[in-house]
Amino acid sequence: MGPKQTARPAIRRAPHQLRGMTVTSSLSVSRRIVLAGLVVGIGLASAPGWAQSPTPKAGGTLVYLEQQAHTNLYPPAGGFYPNGGILNQITDKLTYQNPQTLAIEPWIAEAWAVNEDKTEYVFKIRKGVTFSDGTPLDAAAVAKNYDAFGRGNKELKLPVSEVINNYERSEVLDPYTVKFVFSKPSPGFLQGTSVIGSGLVSPATLDRKFEDLGDATKIVGSGPFVVSKQVLGKELLLTARKDYAWAPKSSANQGRPYLDQIRYLITAEDSVRIGALLAGQADVIRQIQAYDEKQVEAAKYVIYAPSTRGVNNSVVFRPDNPLVADLRVRKALLHATNAKEIVQTLFSPNYPQATSIIASTAAGYVNIADKLGFDLARANALLDEAGWTRTGNGLRQKDGKELVLTAYESLPQPQNKATLQLVAQQWAKVGVKLNVLAGDAGSRVADDLDPLKTPVSPAMVGRADPDVIKSQYHPANRDVLRQKGGQSSKVQGFVDARLNGLLEAVASEVDDQKRLAVAGDIQRYVVDQAYAIPIFEEPQAFAAAPYVKGLAFEAVGRPSFYNTWLDKK
Amino acid sequence: MSSRYLVGRLGQALLVLWAAFTASFVLLQLLPGDAILIKFEGGDLGLSPQQIAEIRLAYGADEPVLLQYVHTLAGFLQGHFGYSIQRGVPVTEAILANLPATAWLTALGFAVATLLAGTIAVVSSLTGLRWLRSLLRGLPPLFVSVPVFWLGIVLIQIFSFRLKLIPVIGAGEWEGLVLPVLTLAVPISAPLAQVLIRAIDEVRTQPFVTVARAKGASSRWVLFRHVLRNALGPTLTLAGVLFGELLAGAVVTETVFGLNGIGRMTEQAVNNQDAAVLQAVVVISAAGFVLINLAVDLLYPLIDPRLRKTVGATT
Repeated sequence: MGPKQTARPAIRRAPHQLRGMTVTSSLSVSRRIVLAGLVVGIGLASAPGWAQSPTPKAGGTLVYLEQQAHTNLYPPAGGFYPNGGILNQITDKLTYQNPQTLAIEPWIAEAWAVNEDKTEYVFKIRKGVTFSDGTPLDAAAVAKNYDAFGRGNKELKLPVSEVINNYERSEVLDPYTVKFVFSKPSPGFLQGTSVIGSGLVSPATLDRKFEDLGDATKIVGSGPFVVSKQVLGKELLLTARKDYAWAPKSSANQGRPYLDQIRYLITAEDSVRIGALLAGQADVIRQIQAYDEKQVEAAKYVIYAPSTRGVNNSVVFRPDNPLVADLRVRKALLHATNAKEIVQTLFSPNYPQATSIIASTAAGYVNIADKLGFDLARANALLDEAGWTRTGNGLRQKDGKELVLTAYESLPQPQNKATLQLVAQQWAKVGVKLNVLAGDAGSRVADDLDPLKTPVSPAMVGRADPDVIKSQYHPANRDVLRQKGGQSSKVQGFVDARLNGLLEAVASEVDDQKRLAVAGDIQRYVVDQAYAIPIFEEPQAFAAAPYVKGLAFEAVGRPSFYNTWLDKK
Repeated sequence: MSSRYLVGRLGQALLVLWAAFTASFVLLQLLPGDAILIKFEGGDLGLSPQQIAEIRLAYGADEPVLLQYVHTLAGFLQGHFGYSIQRGVPVTEAILANLPATAWLTALGFAVATLLAGTIAVVSSLTGLRWLRSLLRGLPPLFVSVPVFWLGIVLIQIFSFRLKLIPVIGAGEWEGLVLPVLTLAVPISAPLAQVLIRAIDEVRTQPFVTVARAKGASSRWVLFRHVLRNALGPTLTLAGVLFGELLAGAVVTETVFGLNGIGRMTEQAVNNQDAAVLQAVVVISAAGFVLINLAVDLLYPLIDPRLRKTVGATT
């Protein structure tokens, strides 16, 4: 294999890298310039000259520190980052979404055909692929996987996959050709075959009960690594599959993974993860807070902040609550929110300020920053117009009721409590109070379903397809606005048929151009209705030792260790 | 020790276990929400209300409470602790995986704490140096005020990250226990040392000590022969009670050091209202308490011969 660097990790670090130049020696300055060049996309391709030791070396064990233990590794449960970080190494997908171009490329499926109205998909399966238990990965195995993901299995308690809509059935046309039939047009399906949640597992795994799949050793995939040991809640050991030979075509490496083993260790404490990395006890860590980035960079370690390419980290309203039912109130709060101040105070350049409800790197993105401006005068005027008048204590009142709202912090989102508290300070300037609650998990989930108790909520979700907007807003999916007939039985009457229609259109529009146009309409509509206040584009933040090379990330920011190698003597 | 006494104690123990089980069951029922709500209904999985209803049915979560109680109790009696909704594995499996680490951590932590407390008490009682004495006597209040969480992080920063003496990540089995054991032992040693010092001071004022000294015994001889033995009683009682502290300390220590133990499992189960795990932890901790207190009661007569006679005379 030539000295090729594979898929450039989605490092969004240009400003930091350049800043670092002034303090480094001339040799590393030139390296950094090339690196910075790579980052901004100049002279990418194969960059053989820039690294001192460009030939990947096989061997070694990578120590990876994860903040939380994995839960259930049934692939559709892979949305949870600790799960996805494991599944991405041990399973392969039918198709490969190129993280740079977001184009769908062949992987386990060599080729595919889709009918005109996107209700039938035929996949030609690559020959010679096996699961690590020796079973062949053929059309029958693929059909069995998608039947489980698309329809679920009540007996085994396997839930339906979030990314597969309108699934009807599969047909095995010949041992290496499979056809999927949908009840309605499903244009998002092709991209859906490339996500973590569509990782292919051995038929034996799918015969197990859902509750047995928390044990990682029972997840048998065809991926470059195999789970060889697990200490529940503490440690997971992945071992390279030496006979692996079916990487996506665009991968520089086509053979076995370079690493021999990967040790996942659960280290909940932020300071311990960072300390261990800097002290040489670990090679890569996940989840580093913006305020810790400087410490890592000062030690010349590398921060990777791949975008999650989905719905931005936002604050959403539940219009079923009378306090925020009035568009003018929501709009006022949208203009009273200073996203720039939040990003500058709490985050770093790895957290770009939002310019739409989805990330600028997401499919179908439209820049609507002009609708999101911070404008206190306008906010005050809108609230006055809506009949909320200021009282002696500074709070606005209407019909004897104070404008007091409540939100629960979301633990998985970075510094969410601090973010909400800053939003609360900003809203206080226009006479609106926001209570930020921590609460126990039970109260949080129960209250969050009730718009009367939580009129405001933080929200985000990642997936590199316009379908992600539907996942977030449609009442049949995550239903963040809490519509009647959706997730919550507590909703009195709020339904937005227009929004739902647009969301369904994005999930079923067969013409790609029209589909992207609809995605644009939704972004404008959600902000025009001020249903959501987008704040920043959420990355997944990782840090790695400088000798860790070839660390890559899939389209939504989960690490891929297939091409990773250790440049150590 | 009569067998009647033992049977009585055993009956008491079972009653305590049942009461702990029932109380925890009731309390968990009273909390808003449950593990299924937290795991499946937050909206992140995009499940429809119908799918959620099916999940609830499959886990038997909507059965009448009384029926759930009977089922759970019957399961516990047969050694089936149920299924951890949050972890996705049977509770027994989770506990077996986590118990050894906690057992070693707490046992060693307690041993080191005892050693530390004994040393502080004895040296501070024997030394003729006033400054050493006040220094040592100042330690327990300091130790008890140190938060376990902070102590753990400071120890890691100093010994692992700065001095690089002991790795925290990927350490060997015993190597990895050094810092956690120390973290756990320091706060536990404080009350032990405090009580032991106070008891030693008190016993020393007793007439028999004066008699022994008058006979020409050295201060060290009197301390080890007479005083310490008499002073151990209250310390032993406290040691039994400290078992609870040990478990609480284990929760924090295991989280900071990323150890896989019952404490960390409890913390996660509390966060996710994983009732089956919590019930099992409560019952196991109650069993631990019962056993330790039984051991303490049985040890008393060995340390203090007077107690042996009173048992015989009154029952």
